[in-house]
Parts: sequence; structure tokens; C-alpha cells
Amino acid sequence: MSSGSGGEPDAGRRGVLKLGIGALGLGLAAVPAVPAIGYLLYPTGGKAGEGAFLPAGKRSAFVGAVPVRVDLYADKVDAWNKTPDVKLGSCWVLERDGALHAFSTVCPHLGCAVDYDAESQKFKCPCHRSAFGLDGAVEAGPSPRPLDALDLQEENGLVAIRLVRYRQGVARKEPV
Amino acid sequence: MAFLDWLDERTGIRAATRLMLEEDVPGGARLRYVFGSVLVFLFMQQVVLGILLAFYYSPSATDAWASTAYLNDQVTYGWFLRGLHHHGSSAMVVVVVLHLLQVVFAGAYRKPREVNWWTGLVMGAIVLAFALTGYLLPWDQKGYWATQVATGIMGTVPGGEPLQQFVQGGADYGNLTLTRFFALHVFVLPIALGGLLVAHLLLFRKHGVTPPELPEAELRRKTQPFWPNQLFLDVLAMTICAAVLVGLTVKTHGAELFAPADPASNFVARPEWYFLFLFQLLKYFQGPLQIVATVLLPGAAAAYLFALPFVDRAKSRALRSRWSVLSGVGLLMAGVTALTAVAIVEDANNESFQHGVEQAHAEAGRARELAREGVPPVGGVAVFDNDPEQKTRNLFKEHCGTCHTLEGKGSEEAPVLDGFTSREWLAALVRNPRDRRFYGATKHNTMEPLTTEQASDEELAAVVEYLISLSGASAAASVDAAMVARGKELWDKKLECSSCHELEAGKDSTGPTLAGRGSPAWIARIIRDSSQKDLYGDTAEMPKFADKLTQEQIEALAQFVASRKTP
Repeated sequence: MSSGSGGEPDAGRRGVLKLGIGALGLGLAAVPAVPAIGYLLYPTGGKAGEGAFLPAGKRSAFVGAVPVRVDLYADKVDAWNKTPDVKLGSCWVLERDGALHAFSTVCPHLGCAVDYDAESQKFKCPCHRSAFGLDGAVEAGPSPRPLDALDLQEENGLVAIRLVRYRQGVARKEPV
Repeated sequence: MAFLDWLDERTGIRAATRLMLEEDVPGGARLRYVFGSVLVFLFMQQVVLGILLAFYYSPSATDAWASTAYLNDQVTYGWFLRGLHHHGSSAMVVVVVLHLLQVVFAGAYRKPREVNWWTGLVMGAIVLAFALTGYLLPWDQKGYWATQVATGIMGTVPGGEPLQQFVQGGADYGNLTLTRFFALHVFVLPIALGGLLVAHLLLFRKHGVTPPELPEAELRRKTQPFWPNQLFLDVLAMTICAAVLVGLTVKTHGAELFAPADPASNFVARPEWYFLFLFQLLKYFQGPLQIVATVLLPGAAAAYLFALPFVDRAKSRALRSRWSVLSGVGLLMAGVTALTAVAIVEDANNESFQHGVEQAHAEAGRARELAREGVPPVGGVAVFDNDPEQKTRNLFKEHCGTCHTLEGKGSEEAPVLDGFTSREWLAALVRNPRDRRFYGATKHNTMEPLTTEQASDEELAAVVEYLISLSGASAAASVDAAMVARGKELWDKKLECSSCHELEAGKDSTGPTLAGRGSPAWIARIIRDSSQKDLYGDTAEMPKFADKLTQEQIEALAQFVASRKTP
């Protein structure tokens, strides 16, 4: 398909061709690019579910005011894998005034794992020196809020805890 | 355009763009010059799509299939992008062939463009290598088995075994095979192709297009600039190609994904369509002659194409003077086409192949449906563990198989459960209750055998039929009424079974009640607690599963046992 106009300049015709190249080129780029947006965003933006109560152990394991660290296990779906009985996280459990309380081990400041210091009877974050009392209240350091209390259930002598992760670095306790 | 001025002053981008776009096309823009550009476009699109796929794909033997299924069936538009990549490889092969034919037709392989011809041929081979390595990556049945053939061929060639071991990463397929194929497919081959493409384009710019056979003056008069005249035709061709690809992808709903690779299965493996001619060729050369199909003929064809600039001794590019070269390449293409056609026709007429394909599709559908809830980390094939029946099977293995045998597996401490609800099982039990197949190994081995003097085989069959009619199991629907009546009479009047067995639920006796025997409900009661007075009472040894398993698990197990046929 040779054109009849030969080598003579034909600005109008060339303008149309250039416009055509631009339009078709954009169309070609859009074929993978447009679906790629939805593709790459999957599955971000979704909220993690409420989460079920996970077994933490027998009630008798948590007697006394010394906090006990418990690992929580459940089946986990991670993208294409479904793994049974994986360690999902852990929490501190302690008895105060006869009732059990559970705190997330995730520091509300920037997410380091909070440890218990038996000597000073405080929870201490190893990263930025936040310290928390046995009631979870901030006693020192940069943490913007108390340790995150977790829902706890007692049934037939068994303790179950709902593991939830909360947004870090903010004063309000909101799940992520 | 102040920004462009600013940028140009610092980068010289305008001059660079001009250098790239401003080229004269002697004799004018032509549609038959588009193939090279279309290939560049397809390659770039494959690169973009490949990068996108890599956002979700995981190259390990345990993850590859699961991540591909996730990408294809769950990620938004994953099927579309993967489908486009899949069909894009076919498109590349097609356009490579068209490009090659156009070059041969125009005589563009001749002096001084020999090196360009050779770089093109190597790039063509790389496109095929892309196809071969990409095929395996989903780690599905088709890729796994088809690639086994390819690497197997490598191993049969003299001196090919080290190469086979190298690409496989050892003697067998596994993680290393995938990581190697992945590295080849996404790093080595694209870099090699990219490098050759640059050389190919620079050489092309050095020599220019091979114009039609016209007088110099006319070529000059008809000359048009590459930008925009030829580029418009190029982009138009790319658009047509892209439209076909999108259409194909939507119509096929993307690329197929078969069930996860299972080394223990027998899959009807076929290579991708553009390798079918090699597959067909292999059928004609067997045993020691195999090397003819795997190496000698393809090698000779490749050598012929490489040597084309030297084979062609013609004085001019005119078609008339080059009939031998043209017919040589034509013959080659005809051979490839014919072999491909024969392979397709043979498969279409091969009933067992068609049946295999149907089964493969069904299995693929089942696997992908089960993959939606997540694939166990053990690997792709474990997706079938998501199947409720498989779950029950695993439950059986864990809790019941330690004493009971099923399908030849398990222990013989307790009755074999194959065909537990069948007439055959009951009749054999009555004749020989102390056999290890029945209650011989248990405390419940107190039942006396019923001899042929006490009841003939025919009478026993009638009693069994009567019991089946009372079982409430699915078999009860298909009983023989006359035999049931006969059996009832024997039970009531002649035989002494009822001294130990009741026909009413809840009535205590030494032997288990036979009301509803074999029905899922009856079996579930035994699983919960076999020591109930109307069941096995004091002779019960089976653990009580009522508080070990959930209600659903017990019911599923009961259904499972009740549905097992005699092997």
C-alpha cells in the first residue's frame, strides 16, 4: 500500500496520521494498563474481619497478678494458601480483682512487641521505652494510648481471646 | 512547551527523538513492512504483562499452581492479563513467521543484510524458548507433562543429559526446575531478546528497508518519511493485532489452567499448537531413529535458514531468479503446516484422547473451585484435601484407620469396612463372624457361625435381603419383595438370630440391633458410643467419639462408611 502523494509534503494528511498514531497508541497502552489498575489494587482496601475468639488455655493457667504470655493459633488464609493452626499472634493475660484481662503484645506506638518486666511490674516496650502499668495505662514513653485490651471469654473453665490488630501511632483505638 | 524546552536543553531529547523517527522509506510506506514493528509491540506488551503477572505469581513447586489459580480466578482482571500474555505468545510466533516469510519473499536476507537475518533467526528461536519456559510456570498438569517431554528429549540426545540436568536443576522436576525456568523466562531470555533487538534495529537502520524492485529514480520519487507515514501503518497493524488478542482472550475467558501437576497421574499431554509439528514428527521416528525427529530434521531446517544468504546464488532479488530458495522455504512451511494439521486431525479422531481432555477439564474445574478457599501449604495437589469427601477420608485415616481397614489401607484390629452395608458383607459375616475381616480380632467375637446345614446359601440370601429391607440404607429401596418375605419367615420361624439381635432400636440384647443396620444414622450412633446397650454393650472396644469429633464430622464419617462399596 504505497501512497500516491509521493514525497510531496502534505501537512494536513500527515497531521491526521500523527493524530491517528497518538489515538491508537493510547488505545494500545490502555489494553493492559486499565485492567492493571484493578489488578494491582486487589485485595487492598479491605478490612480485616472481626475475628473469632481463639482458645488461649485453661482458666487455671492464669491465676495471680503475674501476666502470662499466650500465643494464639488459628487457621489462616494468606492469599492462595490456607494453613491450619498457625500462630497468629500473642497477648498478655493477667488476673486483676478476680477478673481476667488480656492485652495485645503489639505496642500502640509503632508496633514493637511489648515485654513484661517482673522487677518493676510493668510492661515495657524494647524499642522506644514506653512503659505500661498492669492496668495497661501509659506510665512513660511515647505511646499515644494505653495497651490495647482484647475481648476475653470464659466458658467451661476455658479462656478464649479475640485477637485484633489496632492502628498504630494514634490516640484512638481503632481496628485495622 | 516551556517544560520541553527546559528538558531539551538538558537532555537533547528533541534531537534524539528526531534521530529515532526521521528516516526515509524509499518507495514509500508499505503494509508489508509492519511485521517487525508489530513484534516490537508484542514483545513490549509481553514484558508489561509478565511484570504484572509477577506481582502475584510465586515460582515454587508448592506455590506455583496455587498462586496461578489465585491470580487467575480471584484477583481482579487476573484472568484477562494472564490470558493476554498466553495468547500474546501465540501471536508472537505467528508474527515471527510472517516477518520471516516477508523477509524471504523480499530477499532481505541477502548481502549486505546477512547479520540482520541471523540476529532475526536467533530472536525467533528465543521466542520459542520463551514459549517453552513459560508453559511450565503454572505447574499445572498440561505444563508439567508437556515440558517433561521437552526435557526428556533433551536427555535422549547424545551429550544432552548434563544440559537436561542443568535446566531441571537435577534429575527430577521440583522447586529447582521452577526457579530455573522462571529465571530463564523472566531474566535471561528477555535480556537476550532485548539485546538482540537493539542490534537488529541498529542494523536495520544502517541498511534501511529492502525496497521493491523499482528504478532508483522512482524509489526516490515515492519516498515517504517513517514518521508518520510508515509508523501509522505500523500502529494500525498493532491495533488490529491487539484487537484480535483481546477478542481471543475474552472469548476463551483467558488461558486455561489445568489441575495441579500430579506426578502420579496420567495426563494427556500435548505441546502448545506451534510445537505440534515436532510432536507429530516424533511419531514417525522411533527407537534409534528418534534423533532424526528431535535433532537432525529440525537442525537441518535451522541450518538451511541460517545458510540461506549463501544458498541463494541469484544475481538479483527478483522472484524469478530465486525460485529455488523460495521453494525451499515454501517446502519447509508446507511440511510444518501439514504435520500440524495431521496432529490436530489425529487428536480430533482419537476418542481416548478426547475423553482424557474432557476428564482433564472436569478435574481442572473441581481443583480451581476448591482452590478458592485456599490451597494447603503442602502444595497444589493438596487442594483436593479441601474436598469434603477428602476431608472425611483424612479424618478416617486419623481416627478410624488405626483399627479399621478401608480400600486396603489401615489396620485389622476391627472389621474391614469396605462394602460394610452390602449383602455380600452381611452374608460372609454370618458364615464366618470370627474371621479377622469381621469381629475376629475384637472382644465381640461371640457370635456362632451359621453353617450351611442350619441355612442354605439361598436361605441366607433371603435373610440378608430381609435385613437389608430393614436397614433404612439406600440399598433398602431395591430389595426383592419375595425374598424379603421368605427371609422374614425364616427369621421368625426357623433361625435363632433373634435370640441375640433385636429388630427394634433401643431394645437391649447381646448383639447389636439390626433395625436400621448400615444406615448412616445407625453407623453414627456406633461412632458416638458403640457401648450402648442395644449396640455392642459390654463387648464394645471402640473409643467413644461423641466428644472427640464434632456432630458434622461424625455424620460425614457415617455417610462415608455407608457409601463404601465392596472393592
